[in-house]
Amino acid sequence: MSNLKAFPTGGLYLLLFFLYLFGPLVVMVVTAFNSSSFPRISPWECLTSDWFFKLFADETLIAGLGNSLIIGIGVVLVAVPVGLAAAIVLSQVGPHLRSVMYAVFIAPILMPGVVIGLSTLIFWDRLGTFFGAAYDSFFYNGMFLTIAGQVTFISAYSMLVFLSRLQRFDPTLTEAALDMGASQTQAFVKVLLPFMTPAILSASVLAFLASMENYNTTVFTIVAESTFTTVLAQKVRYGLDPSISAVAVIIVGVTLVGAIIFENYNRFRTHKEARAAASAIVPPIARFATNPLVIIGFVLVCVIGFVAWVGTNDSSVCEANIEQMKREYQQEQLEQQRNRTTAPASEPAAPASPPANGGGGVFAPGNLAPAQPEQEEAPASPFGNVFAPENLQGGN
Amino acid sequence: MREIGRFFSGFASRNGLPVAIYLLVAVSIWIFVLVVLPQLTMFDFSFRHNLPPPKIGGPEDVHTLEQYRYFLMGNEITGGGVNTLDIAVLFKTLVAAVFVTIIDLVICYPVAYLLAQSSQGSTKRLLVLALIVPFWVNEILRAFAFRILFGSTGVINGVGMQLGLWDAPIDFIGENVALYAGLAYAYILLMIFPLYNAIESLDRNQIEAARDMGASWAQVHRRVVIPYAKPGIASGSTMVFMLTAGALAAPQILGGPSSLWFTQIIYQWFNSGGNWPRGSAYAVILLAICIMFVLLVMRVFKVSIGEIGR
Repeated sequence: MSNLKAFPTGGLYLLLFFLYLFGPLVVMVVTAFNSSSFPRISPWECLTSDWFFKLFADETLIAGLGNSLIIGIGVVLVAVPVGLAAAIVLSQVGPHLRSVMYAVFIAPILMPGVVIGLSTLIFWDRLGTFFGAAYDSFFYNGMFLTIAGQVTFISAYSMLVFLSRLQRFDPTLTEAALDMGASQTQAFVKVLLPFMTPAILSASVLAFLASMENYNTTVFTIVAESTFTTVLAQKVRYGLDPSISAVAVIIVGVTLVGAIIFENYNRFRTHKEARAAASAIVPPIARFATNPLVIIGFVLVCVIGFVAWVGTNDSSVCEANIEQMKREYQQEQLEQQRNRTTAPASEPAAPASPPANGGGGVFAPGNLAPAQPEQEEAPASPFGNVFAPENLQGGN
Repeated sequence: MREIGRFFSGFASRNGLPVAIYLLVAVSIWIFVLVVLPQLTMFDFSFRHNLPPPKIGGPEDVHTLEQYRYFLMGNEITGGGVNTLDIAVLFKTLVAAVFVTIIDLVICYPVAYLLAQSSQGSTKRLLVLALIVPFWVNEILRAFAFRILFGSTGVINGVGMQLGLWDAPIDFIGENVALYAGLAYAYILLMIFPLYNAIESLDRNQIEAARDMGASWAQVHRRVVIPYAKPGIASGSTMVFMLTAGALAAPQILGGPSSLWFTQIIYQWFNSGGNWPRGSAYAVILLAICIMFVLLVMRVFKVSIGEIGR
């Protein structure tokens, strides 16, 4: 019955699609281990973990990370209760008012982040001016402004999470609690909140992640401070550097581990009974080994082991080789250049039109161009020889 | 007024006073202090002169249309004529955002259909998780990945030249190919999920019936699936369009040296330009044009606003 079988192009399309999704990330992760000072896969120079050490030594990034964590926690503490309140209010109003309020609540998600950022900045700035506040007060504080700006739209995200959970809430539970003599506050705390706990957890994670990765709003509201993302953006705009790829390795790793934990937790919750029944038939070891997530986890452990191994592996010999090779290549180029500049002077055809500047044809077009027909043996890539297999042996 | 009072007393008796206060305070702080008032302040600020702080609130602090006039008839660069520079950037941004939205729709529709109608159970959950995971990676890093991919010594150029498709490295960054690919990538998830939600609720029997009646797959999609998924298409397209037009990170990192996104102009007025009122005016223009454009397109395709975001 599966349509995937009905048209194999469907499966192929999905494959291509996920290649598009993961390809860029894989390439980025791989470049973190290349010793080339520009992030790239080819030409591959040496396997190295130096970029990670360079990263850990980067104080602005570490300071930005600290700020981001504080902002992220602040955003979670404000946005999650606000989102919960908005979802509960929405669930209690009539259908007409509900659609109007829904449109208002959802608007911050659709609004460009840039607009949210600068409207927050202007609002608190004007408010500070109005109250005659000092410049070190919270009206002008980048951290406070960033939390305010991010809460604006992250509340709407968490509201969406709570709305989908609330749809499955059975209001008779609250009624039962009230009938048994609970006050409304008790019913809220002891019935609704426990029911919402999983949603509160996932909304918190979502809010924290959204806060960590936000750039468009933060870049306006952060003023003089910096966050992890703004430092990263500055680094990327200033110049490409494989230590940014090293950041990506860490983030992708953490994300994958988080996703695996999340998925396993979900499975555990939804299939608790089914699993108990099935384990009687299939040996637990076999079930464990065929679980795709266990396989992913295994691969991940291998990757981490690989990184650790690279860390102990000394890449300096290989890098010295590469350096030597580049120097030799430059020398060779220089010599060829010299040969070429002297060659036309001795050629009999040259004096036909003596140049006015007396430069001896040095400036004639073509003399300086490296791609002369007789230079065919010179490789197009500046580090062409690097690819030769015997060169790489020194590295590993 | 009495109705509002009755609403509040009903609300309080339904939730209990402490919870009712929490709900109302949280929602009103969010909507008024964080959303509405800042927007109104920005709107007001866009009608002001760019004054040094001591003069703000003084006699010179009056409303003016100067900032909007500048957008239409800039006087410094274009010499009093129409400000073709900024208007062209706005136009280019909108066209590019439409372009990116269409790319995303074309890419995502088959994926959403396959996910919603063909895969089941744990496979589906794993695929959905695989969709989400790349979007937990920082936006800046995703743009950076496309920089590496499309650079002149990047993987795309390397593979292309190795296969002999082209001889010299192609400047994908300068041609904005990297920018469009990166933007389409950045907001793919926001297109897939509305589409997926819309298509998932479609009864498989309708498709089977159309097939039994002799409809080709193209006809099934054109006559059955797409009309049914219209609200999903509308909300996905709206989100992708708005966020693409308002994007800042990707254009800053992936944009070619000669290309400018409208948000980058706003950013410049706020930072190096040092003219906040003008930046506000530009932001208001961006917001207004985007909203009007979305409403217009929804009218053309006969989709009501209430269907968005469902």
